Amino acid sequence: MNHLTRRHFFGRSASGLGIAALGSLMGAEGTFPNFPAKAKRVIYLFQSGAPSQHDLFDWKPKLAQLQGQELPDSIRQGQRLTGMTATQASFPIAPTIYDFKQHGQSGAWMSNLLPHLAKKADQLTFVKSMHTEAINHDPAITFFQTGFQLAGRPSIGSWLAYGLGSDNKDLPAFVVMVSQGTGNLADQPLYDRLWGSGFLPTRYQGVKFRSIGDPVLHIQDPEGLDRAGRRRFVDDLAKLNEMKLEDYGDPEIGTRIAQYEMAFRMQSSVPDLVDMKQESQATLDLYGPEVSKPGTFAYNCLLARRLAERGVRFIQLFHRGWDQHNTLPKQLPNQCRDVDQPSAGLLEDLAQRGLLDDTLVVWGGEFGRTVYCQGKLTADNYGRDHHPRCFTMWMAGGGTKPGITHGATDDFSYNITADPVHVHDLHATILHLLGVDHKRLTFKYQGRHFRLTDVHGEVVRAVLS
Amino acid sequence: MLCLVTLLPVVAAAADFNREIRPILSDRCYSCHGPDEANRKAKLRLDTEAGAKAALPHLLERVTSEKKGLRMPPVSTGPGLTARQVDLLKQWISEGARWEKHWSFLPPVRPAVADIDTLVEARLKREGLSFSPAASQATLLRRVSLDLTGLPPTPEAAAAFLADSAPEAYERFVDRLLASPRYGERMAMRWLDAARYADTNGYQTDAERSMWRWRDWVIEAFNKNMPFNQFTVEQLAGDLLPNPTRDQLIATGFNRNHRANGEGGIIGEEFLVEYAIDRVEATSTVWLGLTLGCARCHDHKYDPFTQREFYSMFAFFNNLPEKGKVFKYGNSPPLVTAPTRDQESRWAVLTSAAETAERQFHSLQPEIAKRRVAWEKTAGPVTDWVPRRKLLWESAAARQFNGKRSEDLGDVAPLGYYDKFTLAAWVKPTSPEGAILTRAGDKEEEAGYGVYLRQGKVQVNFILRWLDDCLRVESTDTLPLGKWSHVAVTYDGSREAKGIRLFVDGKEAKLKTIVDDLNQDFATKDPLRIGAGHGLRFTGEISGVRIYRDTLTPEEAGALGSSRKLAEILSASARTSDELRKVEWAYLDAHAPADLQQTWQAYWRTRDELREYTATLPTVMIMQERPDVREAHILRRGAYDQPGEIVTRALPAALAPGAKIGNRLQLAQWLVSRENPLTARVTVNRLWQMLFGVGIVKTVEDFGSQGEWPTHPELLDALAVDFMDSGWNVKQMLKQLVMSRAYRQSARVSPELLAKDPENRLYARGPRFRWPAEVVRDQALQVSGLLVEKLGGPSVKPYQPAGLWKELSGGTDYERDQGEGLYRRSLYTYWKRAVPPPGMMTFDAAGREACVVRENRTNTPLQALALMNDEAYLEAARKMAERILTEGGVTEESRLGRGFALALLRPPSARESIVLLASLHHYRDRFETDPGAAAKLLALGDSKVAVDLKKPELAAWTMLASMILNLDETVTKE
Repeated sequence: MNHLTRRHFFGRSASGLGIAALGSLMGAEGTFPNFPAKAKRVIYLFQSGAPSQHDLFDWKPKLAQLQGQELPDSIRQGQRLTGMTATQASFPIAPTIYDFKQHGQSGAWMSNLLPHLAKKADQLTFVKSMHTEAINHDPAITFFQTGFQLAGRPSIGSWLAYGLGSDNKDLPAFVVMVSQGTGNLADQPLYDRLWGSGFLPTRYQGVKFRSIGDPVLHIQDPEGLDRAGRRRFVDDLAKLNEMKLEDYGDPEIGTRIAQYEMAFRMQSSVPDLVDMKQESQATLDLYGPEVSKPGTFAYNCLLARRLAERGVRFIQLFHRGWDQHNTLPKQLPNQCRDVDQPSAGLLEDLAQRGLLDDTLVVWGGEFGRTVYCQGKLTADNYGRDHHPRCFTMWMAGGGTKPGITHGATDDFSYNITADPVHVHDLHATILHLLGVDHKRLTFKYQGRHFRLTDVHGEVVRAVLS
Repeated sequence: MLCLVTLLPVVAAAADFNREIRPILSDRCYSCHGPDEANRKAKLRLDTEAGAKAALPHLLERVTSEKKGLRMPPVSTGPGLTARQVDLLKQWISEGARWEKHWSFLPPVRPAVADIDTLVEARLKREGLSFSPAASQATLLRRVSLDLTGLPPTPEAAAAFLADSAPEAYERFVDRLLASPRYGERMAMRWLDAARYADTNGYQTDAERSMWRWRDWVIEAFNKNMPFNQFTVEQLAGDLLPNPTRDQLIATGFNRNHRANGEGGIIGEEFLVEYAIDRVEATSTVWLGLTLGCARCHDHKYDPFTQREFYSMFAFFNNLPEKGKVFKYGNSPPLVTAPTRDQESRWAVLTSAAETAERQFHSLQPEIAKRRVAWEKTAGPVTDWVPRRKLLWESAAARQFNGKRSEDLGDVAPLGYYDKFTLAAWVKPTSPEGAILTRAGDKEEEAGYGVYLRQGKVQVNFILRWLDDCLRVESTDTLPLGKWSHVAVTYDGSREAKGIRLFVDGKEAKLKTIVDDLNQDFATKDPLRIGAGHGLRFTGEISGVRIYRDTLTPEEAGALGSSRKLAEILSASARTSDELRKVEWAYLDAHAPADLQQTWQAYWRTRDELREYTATLPTVMIMQERPDVREAHILRRGAYDQPGEIVTRALPAALAPGAKIGNRLQLAQWLVSRENPLTARVTVNRLWQMLFGVGIVKTVEDFGSQGEWPTHPELLDALAVDFMDSGWNVKQMLKQLVMSRAYRQSARVSPELLAKDPENRLYARGPRFRWPAEVVRDQALQVSGLLVEKLGGPSVKPYQPAGLWKELSGGTDYERDQGEGLYRRSLYTYWKRAVPPPGMMTFDAAGREACVVRENRTNTPLQALALMNDEAYLEAARKMAERILTEGGVTEESRLGRGFALALLRPPSARESIVLLASLHHYRDRFETDPGAAAKLLALGDSKVAVDLKKPELAAWTMLASMILNLDETVTKE
């Protein structure tokens, strides 16, 4: 029996796997990476609700003269609209009211809502020609996370945990954090399934680090039990389970013993991870004043860096509050303030520690917003509806080509005019940077070899360094 | 080493086409050379005998070629065939390339030998293996109890069984388990996964719905051992049975359990398609074990189903009178009132009281008429009469409006969209535009309710957000200007346009629906206004404003809208029927003798009581057919907005060649007919999975060509035929399985056996794997004595760490129950799809997003953390410790024995005792030194701490109990 147990333990630890990804032993169909990876890990800053490309990145100076005029039919081309504006009597053009300038050597256009990020312009790779198929939040965000509009497929982080495992034996391979922005407070909800493992084994699902209470559920021992008491518990339990293992020979018992040990280790590694006292004031300052408030985007960005440092494969932040259907000028400046300095600070912090080279940072929402106004357009007030036909995202580090802009849209940022990048293409590109051929990362389920990119996806070579 | 024995061929035997060859062709070739015509390459197909025979001459050459352009499957799609696969193909071709129809599409045939153990043992012998010895009686007892009821037996029940040496003792015990009401709850657990049952809608707001009466129907059906064919027909098509009972309607909730979207701005048509597709997928997965969903966008890649056939199946499920955008909160039509058994009896009492009162009232009609006529002759001056039943607010006075003035009445009549109400007033407009009576914002289209005059037409608005969350209806005729009209708008709280009626001068007026998209409550803080709202002002006169908190009946509206006052009617020579009613009701209200008044009042009181009670009853969303058949189209690429050809209802030809299946009922009946080769196999396979951990066909959801070949095909067929022959008797099938020697073996495994059969697919040992999520928790509740055994009812909210809902949804947080809701069985736990109960998800529960039939098991540190630190398990440990101390005698040994008896039905071994007692002493020392720590540990959980026990002692035993609850053996079927 003993050799079995040993093999069991060694088998698992030798493949260097972490909690959620324990044992790609039974794991992926094939081995990964397929080719040398530029990025070892991903920090994905998901801007939930859909930021307006018009007011942040995709400047359309010609619109200023067209304020209040009807969106030409030649542009709209009868495309479908959401039920919220489909029956709206008119579609008046709402040019941005924010100032745009070019930044850095690359001359990237950005509005004055993102002053800190603007200073990082030369590190960013803009994709202005993103497009998606979904027009409402739930299907669109599900599509971004899983490559399919309906829930049930594995999320991108789960695919990577499954394919690549973890570089840290004390932490999950896929960690998620959520924050609420100050823009739209009644914004779209999120769902646990967005980081679910779909039909992949559940050990690959994202583990949400919580901002309220313990970062990992039940990580704290009950009051009245100290660490020594828990150590004793885990040791004695292991002894009893060993007896069972000797008696029954079921290797699952060995796994269970190992998992209790891992749980015990996580009880130290997780509090250590969130112990921000270890950070210097200079580092904290990079992220701005909100960094010391647990649950803010800034705090989560710093935590993301700490997770990246510890080798967590896929770190995903969801920041809610970008759904500016109305009173955009009131909401957007606050919403941008939440993320501007922390996003820039994260890039700076990663760069200072030499982590940016092999950490891919991705920033963007689930679709774009319309050029025409939703609701009543006035000189200083407007709202924008959902727009899946074009929107902007940016990436940095991890083997992307810095200081470039890929793709372009028409004068209304309504249609793409050059180099469209579909969500599947983005997925293929992210996987590629991690050394994974998106066509080869598959899982057989219900008789079919599924993959993140379904039967689509082209790597966007132009954004690779 | 990890390669399954079961997948290795039997030495020197002929290559079996279905088992060995088809899987290769299917997995590696069919996606380009299979049933999918649109994507078929080189006009070559290998899924039919003719196609494959035509390709044979080049098959081996192509799959073994080293040349990039020649090799199949193409290099770009991944690695080529393995050497072993090539060998098999060679062997098959050399043996004459025999072709067979896919095994699961052939009807099951009962083999000559049909006994479970004989068939299992024959296979074992072929592999040089044999059965293991039987498990110990105690182990077996625990296994079978938890398998069939989801709960361990009490130590007393176990002791009684162990003391019974009769040969049929085990059988008797099994019979008792199957007769226990806990059995139905256990069986419902996996059925709820298959039916994607949940307490919320699953999209965006993910608000509550109420399908628990369907869940209780399932439990009851299992408990009364409803034959599985009836169970099938009632759930899929109970509504189409002749004169369906209320229960048969409730049963059809099965196919309304799917997620449903109420998000503002969605395109309804898109989601109608999703709902119907979900129904096809759930139905085909559960009953056919087929992944028809693959044919949504294109012909199936592997199985003989075309896209057209998929949409022909779709056509059975798209014909509900439903909307794509459902109500954000609560159940969406079609639905049925679904009282519980207790409520049913109260409902019957109230119904009969109302009927009696009504009969009584009607039988007195001649008497009433006689006495009224007498009264009319003698009546002096009378005050006017209007209905006052449920009158909420009234202002009879007439007021003048000049198109500018308005009248604010403050926080009056705060009515919402679940309320039944009536808005009524006399109006004499001099302009065709104006607001009559509103409680809404004073800007255009703002939120709230109101009655308006627009272009002379009466318009009713219930608005939360104009355009996508509102309801607007308008009269087809205009009101005359400069003349008094009575306007009464009644609303029945249904949230639908058809729930609104308009009465002008007491006569029902035609309404046109402008928008029927109300989805949230429209109550606002704006004041009640007469003559104003939405920025509109009334010009003319308004009087007799009345708001009722009920839907006035047409008769009441008629009486209310009579223009002549009571005195005028009495003195007139003729009266209309409305006027006659007004006179009669005025008489009954105020002038009739006491006995008549009482009958009159009883009539209304009993009617209202019944209606009010009915409104509190739960409902269930059900299946229903529209009178006009909604067209079904092939949807190109599966997209709702790409309709192609129209299709009619039909089963895939490969399954039911030539069958005439015209509606859902016939479909359901066909599913459980002998003509269908699949349902019985698929069903017994799931039962097998429940007991043995893995199905005879491992891919319980896929019996198609990509599914796994059955490990024991003859056994599967024997069980399937037995099942049908028994009249689809589920309890009998389960009994047959748990009585088998295969089931009753010890789960001990030698390294040699483990190496040969790691997944125990050959059954040379008993099943051993972790219990499902519900069972892990329910067992802890049972052994601690906390379990509240109550069958059915609304879902409950046990312990859950605070903040989980709020963090994701931003709205209200999870508010856990107090008292018994904390201790009900886990299948009653409230299931929010966006944030499913973490205690269940950590232990691999299905997410309830879509139909799931495969059981999934992982072994993670998060499970260890939950079992060690979750308040629910720590409280269970404390209560278990209390039982240990009060029921376990006075010595440490006897107490430890009690703890083991409660959880494991066995005494601890000497070695275990040494470890456990040393542990006990450690914790006792610790807590005696620090009694404060003991108090803190014991404070967890809502249940009271036994006051007569010493806290350090109880705390030490709590740790011991927790250790027992954490044992691998405790959470594992053994």
